[in-house]
Amino acid sequence: MQSANEPRPHWLRVLLIGRRPKVTLLRAAVLGVTCFVTFKFILLPIRIEGISMLPTYHDHQINCVNRLAYLRHEPQRGDIVSVRLSKPEGIANPSIMFMKRIIGLPGETVSFHNGHACINGQPLDEPYVKSSCDWEHQPIQCGPTQYYVVGDNRSMAFNFHTQGRAERDRIIGKLFL
Amino acid sequence: MKTAFRLAFLAAAAVLGFWLWTIFFPGPEKLVLRKISSLATTATFSASDSNITRAAKAGNLVGYFTTDAQIIFDAPGQAARTLSGRDEIREAAYGGFASLPALKVQFLDVTVRIGTDKQTADVNCTARVMAGDSKDYGVQEMHFQLKKVDGSWLISRAETVKTLS
Repeated sequence: MQSANEPRPHWLRVLLIGRRPKVTLLRAAVLGVTCFVTFKFILLPIRIEGISMLPTYHDHQINCVNRLAYLRHEPQRGDIVSVRLSKPEGIANPSIMFMKRIIGLPGETVSFHNGHACINGQPLDEPYVKSSCDWEHQPIQCGPTQYYVVGDNRSMAFNFHTQGRAERDRIIGKLFL
Repeated sequence: MKTAFRLAFLAAAAVLGFWLWTIFFPGPEKLVLRKISSLATTATFSASDSNITRAAKAGNLVGYFTTDAQIIFDAPGQAARTLSGRDEIREAAYGGFASLPALKVQFLDVTVRIGTDKQTADVNCTARVMAGDSKDYGVQEMHFQLKKVDGSWLISRAETVKTLS
């Protein structure tokens, strides 16, 4: 409580550190810790680079990876996930990740025929693929812990498009937005 | 108060001593990390570098490998290639340094595992390579095997890893 005789603090001081500096400091500390935990362990901020996920995601778009998405259930078909390359030491997050869509689940066979993805020989409905595609590829069987991931931009040549089976432990999380 | 000050001074001196010890007598992990980082620096050159500088860098690059080293390259969209021995590596390095306008190599997320015999090491990392003046870059997971030869860590095997099989 401020008494009537106590001089009012300068407006700049109020603006910078508030009327009660100790409370402001505590709030700043809580905010800092919350941000650190959120963006280090839960929502991993990423910048998308490349054209392999066009038109769903564009080059230089900002997004977040939800690292808790697969805590209660396993990845689903159609999920856009981030796949790590090498594993950094300690609690550090990977510097670079692949961002792909899951089309094949463990145990399934994935093939491409006339540009259409086929799961166990049956064509997969993919409304997110807007570009024309002429991919042809022999069936690939996913192992019990593998997911087949591929980008949405199928206008690229098959050999230049990074895709394939990703081990479950390489899938970091699901795209948040 | 005086005792507390002395204790604090001793603790600070111990921390400083430990830090200096790690600087002057680095562990094998640190030495391997330095080697990999130095390899990236040597493999990097800019468009303004003269042919002499490039040739010198290409020559230095060979010094990072053992005489019987192998480089196995198999990346999507690229022809698979294996280089065996320093001569083949030297030839490929000279060719690359002469034909590319510029090259920037970085090794990210590096993990080092030292063998139980302390004479070998395994390194996993992600290579990020920018060729020319383009801002586009390629990424490739890599695995290196290093061997201690005459007190120095040298690469005996470098291979690309298929992140997506």
